[in-house]
Amino acid sequence: MPMKVDIISEWTGEIGEVTIGATKKEGGSRCAAIVIGGGSGFPFLGGSAPGRKPLIAFEFCDDPKLWSPIVTELEGDVVNDAGDWAARVEELHRPDLLRFYLTSTRRRGFQDFSQLRRTVEEVLERSTLPLIVEGSIDPAIDSETFLCCGEAGEGERLLLGTAEEGRYRSVAAAAMAYGHSVIAQSPIDVNLAKQLNILLRETGVPHDRIVIDPYTGALGYGFEYSYSAMERIRFAALKGDEDLAMPMISSAIDSLNIKEVREADPGQRGEMAVKWELYTAVSSVIAGASVVCVRHPETIVPLRSAIDSLWGKTGGGD
Amino acid sequence: MQDVEKSSFSGKAELLKMLDGIEGEFSYEGTAYHLPVTYAITGRAIHTGDEARSAYEDTGGNPLVAAECITSFEQAKHGKEEDPYTGFIVDSVLRKLGYSLVDGSILGLALLAGTPPRPDTAAAICRELQEKYILTFLAGDVISSLMESGVKVGAEYRLVPLGKKPLRGIHFIDIIARVAMMFGGVAPGDTDRLLRYAQERARAFVIVFSGLDEPEIEVYDTFSLLGIPILSVDGYDGREWVQVEAGDAVGKGLDLKGIKVTVTAIPIPMACSPAFEGKSIRKEEMFVEFGGGRSPAFELLRSRPAEEVTDGKVTVIGPEIEDIREGSAVPLAIIVDVYGKTMKKDYEPVLERRIHNFVNYGEGTWHVAQRDLVWVRISKEAVAHGVRIEHLGELIAAKFRIDFPDLLDAIQVTLITDEKKVLEAKGEAGLIYEERDERIRGMKDTDVDTFYSCTLCQTFAPNHVCIITPERPALCGAITWLDGKIAYEISPSGANQPVLKGDMIDEVRGEFEGVNRFVKKASHGEVDRCSLYSILEYPMTCCGCFECIAVMVPEVNGFLIVNREFTGETPSGMTFSTLAGTIGGGAQTPGFAGISKGYILSDRFLQAEGGIERLVWMPSLLKEELHDRLVQKLKEGGIESLFDKIADEEKAVALEDLIEYLARVDHPALGMPPLI
Repeated sequence: MPMKVDIISEWTGEIGEVTIGATKKEGGSRCAAIVIGGGSGFPFLGGSAPGRKPLIAFEFCDDPKLWSPIVTELEGDVVNDAGDWAARVEELHRPDLLRFYLTSTRRRGFQDFSQLRRTVEEVLERSTLPLIVEGSIDPAIDSETFLCCGEAGEGERLLLGTAEEGRYRSVAAAAMAYGHSVIAQSPIDVNLAKQLNILLRETGVPHDRIVIDPYTGALGYGFEYSYSAMERIRFAALKGDEDLAMPMISSAIDSLNIKEVREADPGQRGEMAVKWELYTAVSSVIAGASVVCVRHPETIVPLRSAIDSLWGKTGGGD
Repeated sequence: MQDVEKSSFSGKAELLKMLDGIEGEFSYEGTAYHLPVTYAITGRAIHTGDEARSAYEDTGGNPLVAAECITSFEQAKHGKEEDPYTGFIVDSVLRKLGYSLVDGSILGLALLAGTPPRPDTAAAICRELQEKYILTFLAGDVISSLMESGVKVGAEYRLVPLGKKPLRGIHFIDIIARVAMMFGGVAPGDTDRLLRYAQERARAFVIVFSGLDEPEIEVYDTFSLLGIPILSVDGYDGREWVQVEAGDAVGKGLDLKGIKVTVTAIPIPMACSPAFEGKSIRKEEMFVEFGGGRSPAFELLRSRPAEEVTDGKVTVIGPEIEDIREGSAVPLAIIVDVYGKTMKKDYEPVLERRIHNFVNYGEGTWHVAQRDLVWVRISKEAVAHGVRIEHLGELIAAKFRIDFPDLLDAIQVTLITDEKKVLEAKGEAGLIYEERDERIRGMKDTDVDTFYSCTLCQTFAPNHVCIITPERPALCGAITWLDGKIAYEISPSGANQPVLKGDMIDEVRGEFEGVNRFVKKASHGEVDRCSLYSILEYPMTCCGCFECIAVMVPEVNGFLIVNREFTGETPSGMTFSTLAGTIGGGAQTPGFAGISKGYILSDRFLQAEGGIERLVWMPSLLKEELHDRLVQKLKEGGIESLFDKIADEEKAVALEDLIEYLARVDHPALGMPPLI
């Protein structure tokens, strides 16, 4: 006899929804406008409305020298052209979303903003999936970088990353001026997550255009803290805290650089990386992430099947 | 001098005449907001003279509507003005401008209009505006005057020449109207929200020179409805137009709209960062020291009227570093005078405490203690790099400006190293310290209707909420009610939030409906009730930072207190650290409470349990530390003899010894009603 679990809940809150991507009809060029978030419970508990099924984003970049060789070696020459890479990802790896990192901006003294704009435009031309764009991580070039991203993607309803406490104005400005949404990242702390969301709100970014990134450590490398932070963000939202009622995005970006992967037998390294990404991502989904991001192409298939199997049984509330 | 009131009156009639003259179809290109000012106010798209006139009438004769319709009509009729005049600015350019405003690369907007008395007057104003990250629009003869004196104009120089006539300054308003609609979510036609947005969010001001004609005066005078101040450099008088000297115009504009230019780098020959805060300077590394019992020294922060504070001014009175022998102790007074529109006297001590952090941020400077107990050192290495005493002042002034941009408008630092003058000033400072202590001492929980919360510690005690009241500081001892209040004012979305007391539920236990509601929410639903003055029923939760722990000792009908510094056993059978492990982490533990030292001296301490007479034991060091203040307090309550009846570790460690001791001294707790 299946065990019956009573879901104790005095939850009154609901998770908000965020739309990523705009179709031709809506003024963009994406194949779909994807809605993430929603729901008034936790996923995979059955019963309560769990919101929308979690989605998978594949991460890639414009400067492959600043990317894990495990991925770039597997992908081959295509990584040297962001547009080619985007096209290949869509055709072969088939994630739900693309997350494009402008790693070129992380080089010391970066100034080539016109190239940056062309790169974003090219990725948009060569892809059709809703797009997440990660700009600079240096306050000195934030203003110009996010202006480029915002303008180049006008009408496409991008999700722009990443706002942090202390440097959120440029991302927010790009989102407000050109109709995009914002990833708000805080260092594994529910209160700081809330504070940043309030700052963004005060700047003028509406709630339905914010996605929380609680920061995800790799499994075995602090993931338990991230899990707990995500769970608490979700709890707070369900209890009615509107400043935390946004969908979450999770990317355990360190998974490919951890010791177990680095020191694995060269022949096993890829497999180890996939496992690490997979188990971290599945756990994030259980903690309440609406979008999970991976970098190893081979993680996508098993991750999708894990989400599907969990979702099919319980998540959809059947 | 032109009288604004009179001119605007006759200007109105003339404006109406001009409006009557417009005909045919007209519109702006490159915008989705039609004639933006009129669209924002009325929600209507205007294309013809008749529509324009009816919009003017329906807005009760709004001169902005008239000016916009006339401008749009003239541009349609005569075509765009020749270069460099921009005329109407299209949406796509505006979007970029809005981006820079939100992003902070532009701090505000200014409009310069009219005919400057001399070309260099306008040039100087423009240079200052550029330096202050203000995007400046120009209308009228000021443009040709600037160009003649060699100033480059154009968007890339952040000097945008709108048009030949001051009337073209209306574009300044259509920009603000569109920013409100694009970024502020203001719906066309929602005049109330438009005005509110403009007044609260638009960081804009106007500087006018002479040469505005009467209709233009009427139009510009209406800007004040949007909260845009008009600074008149010469030529006008009346209404709300502010008379300024040319040299003060920009400063005044920034000030009126609360625009703060932030400094990022501090121009001193020493690195400066919180990273150096923990670094001490040992005797052998030290070039000079001040205070610390070796020489007279003190620090004082005072709030002063605006005219007495010159922002950024640093003065050293007495010997500078080159006059000082290496290794010596020198007298020092650090006097920080501040001015801020929202600055209050109550904030002084809190801000003064920041001097400690700021001086420690310097790589080669070190600071301990406070007030007239300060001890400051400058390292040999720093002096070798050129650090002088004046740089201490630069550092303090700059850090105050960076950390309190909204609170402080001007900071001036005086450093005195002349012994006689230090001693003189020190006497005055002593009086101020005394006065302050009196003020905080005098504050009661019943005097206020708002307490403050602190959730700083939720990073490790996820459901802990401190409620800070005038008589109960945070349990870490680091944040008083005033600190909480200021922290909230400075950072409204931070960890200290106002908590309205609400209805009283229980006076003795200090339970308030508003506090309960707040605690429930901030503890993520974990804690339903919180009594502020009781340790037995619904006590406040504890994080882990408490200075002391108060523990019920039922056998003797009282409470003991143990402070963090005390490592020995207590009569409860537990040490501080064992107790801390039991009660911390954000839980409510009846019978135990984490408290600050200051709270022990409060009338509210143990109020529900019968007051300070329940106190039976505390470590001798703590007793010594609190001696003067505690004796004073007991004296006020007529129970001075209690002090010696409170046991310490020398008198009793085991419970049996405590029982015996208390009986011997006839401690009042023994005769009080049983605790359980």
